Amino acid sequence: MATVLRRAARLEFSGVLSLFSASCRHGRPYALSHVAFNDRHLSTSSKVKVDLDNSNGIAVMKFDNPPVNSMSLDFLTEFSINLEKLELDKSCRGVILTSAQPRIFSAGLDIMDMYGTSPEHCGAFWKAVQDMWLKLYGYSKITIAAINGASPAGGCLMALCCDYRIMADDPRYSIGLNETQLGIVAPFWFKDTLLNTVGHRTTELSLQMGIMYHAHEALKIGLVDQLVPEGKVLSTAVETLGTWLAVPVRQAKVEAVVPGS
Amino acid sequence: MATVLRRAARLEFSGVLSLFSASCRHGRPYALSHVAFNDRHLSTSSKVKVDLDNSNGIAVMKFDNPPVNSMSLDFLTEFSINLEKLELDKSCRGVILTSAQPRIFSAGLDIMDMYGTSPEHCGAFWKAVQDMWLKLYGYSKITIAAINGASPAGGCLMALCCDYRIMADDPRYSIGLNETQLGIVAPFWFKDTLLNTVGHRTTELSLQMGIMYHAHEALKIGLVDQLVPEGKVLSTAVETLGTWLAVPGHAREISKSMMRKPTVDKLLANKEADIKNFVSFITKDSIQKSLGMYLAALKKKKA
Repeated sequence: MATVLRRAARLEFSGVLSLFSASCRHGRPYALSHVAFNDRHLSTSSKVKVDLDNSNGIAVMKFDNPPVNSMSLDFLTEFSINLEKLELDKSCRGVILTSAQPRIFSAGLDIMDMYGTSPEHCGAFWKAVQDMWLKLYGYSKITIAAINGASPAGGCLMALCCDYRIMADDPRYSIGLNETQLGIVAPFWFKDTLLNTVGHRTTELSLQMGIMYHAHEALKIGLVDQLVPEGKVLSTAVETLGTWLAVPVRQAKVEAVVPGS
Repeated sequence: MATVLRRAARLEFSGVLSLFSASCRHGRPYALSHVAFNDRHLSTSSKVKVDLDNSNGIAVMKFDNPPVNSMSLDFLTEFSINLEKLELDKSCRGVILTSAQPRIFSAGLDIMDMYGTSPEHCGAFWKAVQDMWLKLYGYSKITIAAINGASPAGGCLMALCCDYRIMADDPRYSIGLNETQLGIVAPFWFKDTLLNTVGHRTTELSLQMGIMYHAHEALKIGLVDQLVPEGKVLSTAVETLGTWLAVPGHAREISKSMMRKPTVDKLLANKEADIKNFVSFITKDSIQKSLGMYLAALKKKKA
């Protein structure tokens, strides 16, 4: 634990590990360009690439918002729309979240949507964050996070929302809700998601210190479920989802989320 | 776990490890003598010695109520007042709790405040225990327990209230909520504090058996966060508090409050009822008899 605290004290400000990305963007959010997906069709203008394999019903959703997959209003909107589509698509039986950017899963909420923007824009942005969490945490189908890079704050949140987390066993990658290190506070529902995963004491320590856990620490505390070599993260996720599909899992999950249903 | 249970079954009655201390006291609680603290000034008549280092803002609060730092009404009052002062003092950035008595952190609530005393006194005493917990568990500043001795019951509670627990790696020292071993029951807010630290199953087992955990077991179940040689407990606490201070304070405070407020509110909503429950329980003949037998056994062991 002492080692964890010492690491936490070193604020990790490398571009990859920053809480927010400050990637160059046009000033105003643009209307969502058409995102079509069908068997193996990939849209090049989108921030989220979806590949639904009709042979096994497994959809792989790759975050593709260079450089650091920041969760901008556009990204969040596209993400939620795609999740919705997959939920309605009977041929989809589960979703894997992963990244198309090297060394980063997601750097978290896009600071450009919160810095120097109007209250109205901030409100619209926050609603999009809420809607993403409501959709993903409450998702009826199986979700697996294939964490192939660093995952602070919002990135950690998306991973926490999934049913299962597989992370690359790489000392460069860390994961955690590190908001306090930047002087802000994780909302109560971020806190709840972490609480439901690692328990009260660890959540309290984690949030007070804004801890970023290296892969082995993350596994030790149960923040992630499994570590594999980076090259095997996605294939392990596909394999795992396959074993989950052997269980009549939908009703069990619905009942876990809504007791008595 | 079986080893832990076997150890727990051996009621540890050494003077140091008793649940309550039966230290000699004057019959009536006295008004709190003036406790001044400033950079390195120590008051000799107090039961709690506070040393605020202005160079780093770290206050070290040493329990000094010989022989076993029993949590008497006086101790609790002084403790709460000092915590309050430090909370208001802008130069204080965090508080370390430790003991000035050898081999004991705190033996817990002072049985003499509950045995053969009036219902009114019991009520005043219990309110002081509640106020201590409300203040310490809800404390906005950083708190670290530097556990340099045995820590049963109330001692364990004070440690649990802190943000972080460092314990001496010594086989003689154990820590836990062992109330049931003496025929009494930990109040729900003691239980909540343990629950928030080690989880439901461990809390249930711990409370049912009144388990006293040796340092390594305590670390294993997450009751304490770190073990170091006894000589390094305080310095490690100071070092740790330093790293905590690197995090933006206001954000850390709000996060802490978000985590603890529901638990604190549960007692706030039920303070009076909780006092009534305690008084009616502790003044029962059967319970007084249990306490009396326990005191007699302690005296016998000392002789």
